[in-house]
Amino acid sequence: MNEVAQRVRQLLATRLKLAKAAEEVGDDTPLFGPEGLGLDSIDALELVLGLEKEFGVVIDNRDVAVKVLASVRTIAEYVQSQGKG
Amino acid sequence: MGSDLLSRLPHGLSFRFVDRILELAPGKRVVALKNVTLNDPHLQGHFPGNPLMPGVLLVEAMAQTAGLLLPEGASALLAQIKEARFRRPVVPGDQVRIEAELVAELGGLRRFAVRASVDGLLAAEAEIVLSVTKPGDTTG
Repeated sequence: MNEVAQRVRQLLATRLKLAKAAEEVGDDTPLFGPEGLGLDSIDALELVLGLEKEFGVVIDNRDVAVKVLASVRTIAEYVQSQGKG
Repeated sequence: MGSDLLSRLPHGLSFRFVDRILELAPGKRVVALKNVTLNDPHLQGHFPGNPLMPGVLLVEAMAQTAGLLLPEGASALLAQIKEARFRRPVVPGDQVRIEAELVAELGGLRRFAVRASVDGLLAAEAEIVLSVTKPGDTTG
């Protein structure tokens, strides 16, 4: 989990313009909304492409994306549930 | 081929930068043509004595081409332009071949890889995200 979470954090840093350093993003920091990193739907699309490239996981459905892209932890768990990472 | 499809674009003729569709795999990939000519109105000022198709209009032409991959009746707005590069100038007499390919979609957003070339040489490329504001005919 920790290693996958670290790769997810790295992905956030390389593909998106974050307001804070990737190491400061907690496992449970919300990625979207004013309480968290404040990512938007365009960032979500970027992230989906990044996850596909980095881990080979496909997210092509908005409902799945909303659940999976909630935080570093939910992404890492999804990657592992798909047998990737 | 495809004059009906071209008329799906919402733009008036004064702001249409696609002349013809050459190839179409609906929803996935399209190749279109834009002919650049000396009396294009925007070339009068860009630049006097040195007509050059504005890079932003190449982006517009690539975005309109991508828009041809949306379902019939759909409308969309430009949401993001990424990695745009302009490799060589496009001048009157050039026939610009524009390719657009769907690379990802999520919710109402669709991302396309787009390229414009003249005589086989790359003139511009980008990744463009369109935000679909009206879904149109989803079976189309």
